[in-house]
Amino acid sequence: MVSSTEPTTIGEAHGPSGFLPERIVHVHPTRLCNLACLHCYSTSDPGQRGGLDPDDLTGALGVLRAEGYTVVSLSGGEPLVYKPLATIVDRAHELGFRVTMISNGLLVERSLPLLSRLDGIAISFDGLAERHDRMRGREGAFAAASAALERLASLGAPVGAAISLTRSGIAELPDLADHLAGLGARSLQIRPVARAGRARSLADSTFHEAADRARLYLVALALDHELPDVRVHCDLAPAEGLWEQRDAYVGLLGDGGETPSDERPLADLVNPLVVTDTGVLKPIAYDFDPRFDIAAVPTTSSDGLRRYKGDGPVPFRDLVGAALAGMRGRSDLVDWFDHCTRLSEARQPTAIALL
Amino acid sequence: MSPVTTKDASARLSQRLASFKLGDAVIKRLSSQIMIEGLNIGRINPCIYGICIDYFTDKLPSVERLSPKQGITKWEVFPYGIIDWDRFHVRVAFEVNELEGRGVVRGFEH
Repeated sequence: MVSSTEPTTIGEAHGPSGFLPERIVHVHPTRLCNLACLHCYSTSDPGQRGGLDPDDLTGALGVLRAEGYTVVSLSGGEPLVYKPLATIVDRAHELGFRVTMISNGLLVERSLPLLSRLDGIAISFDGLAERHDRMRGREGAFAAASAALERLASLGAPVGAAISLTRSGIAELPDLADHLAGLGARSLQIRPVARAGRARSLADSTFHEAADRARLYLVALALDHELPDVRVHCDLAPAEGLWEQRDAYVGLLGDGGETPSDERPLADLVNPLVVTDTGVLKPIAYDFDPRFDIAAVPTTSSDGLRRYKGDGPVPFRDLVGAALAGMRGRSDLVDWFDHCTRLSEARQPTAIALL
Repeated sequence: MSPVTTKDASARLSQRLASFKLGDAVIKRLSSQIMIEGLNIGRINPCIYGICIDYFTDKLPSVERLSPKQGITKWEVFPYGIIDWDRFHVRVAFEVNELEGRGVVRGFEH
């Protein structure tokens, strides 16, 4: 039972939280998808059924808005096959969220009225046509995604591209970036393919070693210079830089001054927050280990989250603290959120005082 | 033959970095070189030395943080001054033999 649908905000958060410029709820309303990508971290495909109850979800979003989150990012599965999507978008806007979406682009043309109401859209790409179509398991997927991006850009929509790259895909990135910029992409969000979901069955050579992460980072930097009208962002960051910016986790790792942890906004402690298609609230990523689950959507309430904030964050806090401490003195590049997710699966974190 | 434009040179930089013809050892060395404590990387440009990088920082840059091992050929600091007293733009040229001379041939200019 959802206790509140109104944004009774306990205080807008200030300063960064968790290395992100916004406090974000990633919503996966369904794993139903019109594609079955080889690297899909949520193992979505056309055979999936079920999905989030829209009333439960909008109720939970009301609670989460009050907990300081400001952006709802819709993913999936393919969000455009989720029938109550318009209801979710409108209710999220009413609550004061900005709403963004990542889509494979195949259903864009028939969804333009809804897409025109979004604050940001990213079309996903995996490389140039041959590679993209192979990863997506559908001939013509690259052409369709390109057409969707171009169409949205022509309408003035705030559209960009989310690019997931295998190791060998790095070589195609400059040409892909040129192609996407030519279509009108305003931003390129670049990340290595994560070893999660269906991607776990891919060959080891698919994934990035330290030199590959360095190469990808350098290419993204060069592209940012070459494409002055496009914002190029790479999810990789220098490890030592993450350590230097550890104040981004002061909400989670600091003593909070006179504010007890159960009175702090959840968005100051956990960012991003993930809502899965089965209604589970998780920190950071869809496949974050279940030991760290926060709550269930149908029962999300301010009181429940207060209990979590008072007691529950300890394992998560220890994991993040240990992960941050591990960044000190390293000279390589790190996909921070994927790093934490893999740590959640691999170990019992150790408490380390950092701040 | 038409002159090399800045855009052409930059494009070749991203292509060269993305190409696996530039070995992993060079890439790892380069990425390690350019990470300087206290400086946030802004932009990467090809230049006569190999690459030049624009950093930004809110602390007065210190030469002690620059190691000879980093292959730094030249560096300049541009205070924002009255625009923003606590912000500095630091431009550093790195010697990268594998890239040297293939970019814009006017040093720091780009």
